[in-house]
Amino acid sequence: MAGKHTRDDGTIRTLAELKSALQNAIELEHSTIPTYLCALYSIQDGTNQKAVETIRSIVVEEMLHMILACNILNAIGGEPAINKPGFVPTYPGHLPDSDNSFVINLAKFSRESVDVFLKIEKPATTSEPPKAKGYQTIGQFYQAVRIGLEYVNDNTPGGIFTKDKKQRAKQITAEHYYGSGGQIIPVYTIDDAREAIAEIVGQGEGIDDTIEDSDQQMFGQGIEYAHYFRFNELHEERLYKDTDTPKSGPTGDRIVVEWDAVYNMKPNPKMDDFKAYPELLEKVRDFNRTYTLLLDNIHNACNGQPDLLMKGVAMMYQLKYKAIALMNIPVPGTRYMAGPSFEFEK
Amino acid sequence: MANNRADLFLEISALLTGFNKAELQGTGMVATYYNTVANIPQDPNYSDQELAANEANVGFFFEEVNSILKENKKDESKLQQAIAGRLMPLSAYNGLAQSIITLWYTGSWGANVVNAQAYIQGLMWDTAEAHPPGAKQPGFGSWSFPPL
Amino acid sequence: MKTDHYDVVIAGSGIAGSLIAKTLTRAGKKVLLLEAGLQAGVALDSDGAYNNYMSYLDRFYNAAAKVPNSPYPILKDAPTSNVLDVVKLTPGGPPPPGYLVQMGPLPFASDAVRGPGGTMLHWLGTTLRMLPNDFKMKTVYNQAVDWPITADDLRPYYEMAELEIGVSGEVSEQTYPDTPAPKAYFGKDYVFPMHKIPQSYLDTEIAKGVQNMTVKLNKRQYKINCISTPQGRNSTPNAKYPYRDVIWNKAEKKLKLTGLLGEKYDYNPVPSIWDAYTGQRCEGNASCVPICPVQAKYNPLKTLKRSNFDHLTIITQAVASTINIDEKTKEVTGIVYKRYNNPDSPEYTTGVAAGKIYVLAANAIENAKILLASGAANSSDQVGRNLMDHMVMLTWGLTKEKIYPYRGPGSTTNIATFRDGPFRSEHAAWISPFDNWGWSWPVFSPGSDVSDGLAMGLFGKQLRDYLNERLTRQFLLHFECEQSPDPDNRVTIDHQYLDPLGNYKPIIHYYATDYMLKSMEAAKTVSDQIFAANGIEDHTVYNPVTDAGYVTYKGQGYTYRGAGHIVGTHRMGFNKHDSVVNHEQRTWDHPNLFLAGCGNMPTLGTSNPSLTMTALTFKAAEAILKQLEK
Ligand SMILES: Cc1cc2nc3c(=O)[nH]c(=O)nc-3n(C[C@H](O)[C@H](O)[C@H](O)COP(=O)(O)OP(=O)(O)OC[C@H]3O[C@@H](n4cnc5c(N)ncnc54)[C@H](O)[C@@H]3O)c2cc1C
Ligand code: SF4
Repeated sequence: MAGKHTRDDGTIRTLAELKSALQNAIELEHSTIPTYLCALYSIQDGTNQKAVETIRSIVVEEMLHMILACNILNAIGGEPAINKPGFVPTYPGHLPDSDNSFVINLAKFSRESVDVFLKIEKPATTSEPPKAKGYQTIGQFYQAVRIGLEYVNDNTPGGIFTKDKKQRAKQITAEHYYGSGGQIIPVYTIDDAREAIAEIVGQGEGIDDTIEDSDQQMFGQGIEYAHYFRFNELHEERLYKDTDTPKSGPTGDRIVVEWDAVYNMKPNPKMDDFKAYPELLEKVRDFNRTYTLLLDNIHNACNGQPDLLMKGVAMMYQLKYKAIALMNIPVPGTRYMAGPSFEFEK
Repeated sequence: MANNRADLFLEISALLTGFNKAELQGTGMVATYYNTVANIPQDPNYSDQELAANEANVGFFFEEVNSILKENKKDESKLQQAIAGRLMPLSAYNGLAQSIITLWYTGSWGANVVNAQAYIQGLMWDTAEAHPPGAKQPGFGSWSFPPL
Repeated sequence: MKTDHYDVVIAGSGIAGSLIAKTLTRAGKKVLLLEAGLQAGVALDSDGAYNNYMSYLDRFYNAAAKVPNSPYPILKDAPTSNVLDVVKLTPGGPPPPGYLVQMGPLPFASDAVRGPGGTMLHWLGTTLRMLPNDFKMKTVYNQAVDWPITADDLRPYYEMAELEIGVSGEVSEQTYPDTPAPKAYFGKDYVFPMHKIPQSYLDTEIAKGVQNMTVKLNKRQYKINCISTPQGRNSTPNAKYPYRDVIWNKAEKKLKLTGLLGEKYDYNPVPSIWDAYTGQRCEGNASCVPICPVQAKYNPLKTLKRSNFDHLTIITQAVASTINIDEKTKEVTGIVYKRYNNPDSPEYTTGVAAGKIYVLAANAIENAKILLASGAANSSDQVGRNLMDHMVMLTWGLTKEKIYPYRGPGSTTNIATFRDGPFRSEHAAWISPFDNWGWSWPVFSPGSDVSDGLAMGLFGKQLRDYLNERLTRQFLLHFECEQSPDPDNRVTIDHQYLDPLGNYKPIIHYYATDYMLKSMEAAKTVSDQIFAANGIEDHTVYNPVTDAGYVTYKGQGYTYRGAGHIVGTHRMGFNKHDSVVNHEQRTWDHPNLFLAGCGNMPTLGTSNPSLTMTALTFKAAEAILKQLEK
């Protein structure tokens, strides 16, 4: 699925390339969600409060980012494509269109998975050029998208932001989206688009050379650390203090991470793995059906029926309960528990 | 074939509740409920005599379950008849089969809720195509359309 | 021990107390709040609030009987009413155990929470306004009494209350009998802060057959009108809503609603007290009574949290017992309270809280009790009298199609048809909410259905199917009948009945007049017609042996239940002979003593009382500020 229209040098010069890059952005944001959700749902109820809060808050921000990317794509007359088999990544796999330098998995919460999360959320350094393809960090990717947006907008008579009423009505607004970290930003202009990208990058990577995310600056919310640093607290089993910097690492109180209070989920499960156990297979399939319905739902919501998101939220909750049920079912003959396989299943 | 009591418990629970084994395992309650039924750890409120009587009752119950399952391996309707006749009456094994059904459906054992999870995992909510009040929230507006 | 001198001393941190504390401290006044409940419950910092609230939730999960009070700690030193104590009374027998000393002949069937935040921790959240005729029952129907104020007088305060609580609803759908159209009654451009809570699937299925059907009652015909119910739980913000805050305008000596003033984003639903992302919408936990796990439903801690803490002192575990009065000036000079360390031990220390102005906001029954114990405010002999509640008659049945109850907030739709009409000169009016939670209230479903299935010998797949068919088709209808004030329905005290701290337990005398019984008869005929016309199989049973609230009228039995609406025990009126407080909620007898809460309401109407009471409490706060700045 990933964009056919990206240049090898990772720059964006045409509207088609831009749309393709934004479709990639949607896929990129989405690809991390199953990874984070598996870790989150593998944590046993009532344990690891800090880890649960960290992952939960980050995953809802990823969902927000995905919707923001849809808003930008809709704003320039694109059509987010979400309910296609190719939309769903295969795990283990790589971030779409990245430099493939690390592998992302569907796996339980563990030291190893937190290592991967740190790689996903690694802040961009200034030495790496913006790149929409073969990027090393997500920040690099979005820099390229922002520059591309500005470039194409400046070089298109009348700009690229749609004035069509029907197309504008496709924006997801605060009326449909709530409860996630950060603000949903409807995008109608280049400024809105810049703000949306700043929100995505700011929450993920933070503000240059600090550990904070951008929400406080942008929306007056309480200080929250950017994703990388929030995961790093789990990694280091120590909290950051407000005076800490990226260099200093966390120097605050120690926290207890209960690495063992976790369901031993089978890594990267597939429906195929459960063929011999029809009852179990049915439950995995049922999970995937709901997941696919959810993708349908988000697809339709982002293509002109924003009210549908209400039902999408209900589906997300169902996914959670179904995933947790799976993690409680032993896979016969192994030391593993079952788990959600996030496969496209109509 | 199930060969120890814990396996027998899962097997018979599925037949008594109408939920299959994967569904029951998915609640995460199998071990807790087995221990509840088998009175592990022993409830300090009972006398030694009561404990011994209970243990004997539970022992006989599982023996009966074992033979019912063995005898009726091939014939589903005979199996149902055997459960109805030999386990379901209140007079059989102090009504243990009915108590096990109540345990799975409501999360209560006698007059007590086993624990918070037991309440939350009560099968009656799933059966109602709803969710336990105060837990497993279904999301804003979900009640305005039929269950997903 | 005597406290510092405060501008205002308040007893009770329910909505009445918290709202006054917030309004006054934000106007720069120094306030002391006495609260009978535990210190932990008043934690408003993120961790403290979360941990305490999760302990409530855990207590709820583990409770065998999930009654309204089940999540909240039981305090021997600050005991409270509990619906588990409501039992059938034997004539002439001793009162059954429980905090309320029930002298009968019928039991008073409602409870309250004693703890920071008060009873609205477990309120349902329905926020209907009263109707114009509710304020003039004497004039229009020659029943009960008139209020000293009208619906129009109260309108600005209703608007403040709707902001404070955060009401979700659609003004345009609020069509009531004998009431001007919504645009006229609410004001041309008025909207609630948030759009309506989506009505349940059950509501829409039932309404298909019920909306506009004709029922006959006492030879008259009525067309049934089902409407969405406004409620204090978070929904989608209404972009047209203009207000953000209520502030004291020193120059005009008035409380005023202030606008959003060109801010970028709409009204923000008030989230949980522990984090900004929880509770922005009702998530459908379906446990509003007894506890909303995400605090999407309003509770008074949200109000308390917005106080100015530079000016607020809170003393918890402090049970107000009596008030001291200067015999000459009739001024109150202090509130005497008993402070306990351990709620299970009878040990306490006594304190006197002193200020310029005093407010009792400890709930209708407690307020009356404190006044009676102090011989205060009672020159009219109305203290403790006119105790009222909605007498709730339930009817239940099975629908033909699945309607999927047990989902969503307790009630999202009501039948408004019988809220007003000429019949009020004969029998009580009522409102009929549809209930979204199956038969849980009358028969403890779904647990009882499991027992029923077992009793039928069912197990396995058959049991599962039986329960599915039954639980997905349970419909429950309420008839909340407006109890009219009666001087003999009352709270009294007696040295014989004391709690562990030596405070009085309330003695309750309660019965149902023919005016009430007749309304139950009438409501049942309406229910029968609705059920029959819609193919709902009636399963209603009123059990003379086991139902605590079983009554008979013309040979037929009915059962009432409590609505939790404890009202009327220190009524407001026109003069010092007919009432305890004036329209500003100030006692006639003591110039610096205010009462806050539903006890002030002269009549009940067919709306749940808290919105109206909150409006009255804004009036009280305004009067207190005026008095302080004189
Ligand atoms: C099950 C149920 C459902 C309800 N649903 C609704 C509804 O949907 N809509 C509606 O409008 N109303 C509803 N109500 C009614 C509503 O809860 C009350 O009207 C409201 O809580 C009254 O507020 P209050 O502040 O006057 O008293 P409370 O909320 O009872 O608060 C009193 C406070 O005073 C404290 N206190 C008590 N005694 C003392 C003392 N001696 N000294 C110091 N402090 C003391 C208590 O601890 C408490 O904090 C419901 C009630 C119940 C029981
Ligand atoms: S339905 Fe649930 S989330 Fe909504 S108010 Fe009630 S308890 Fe809270």
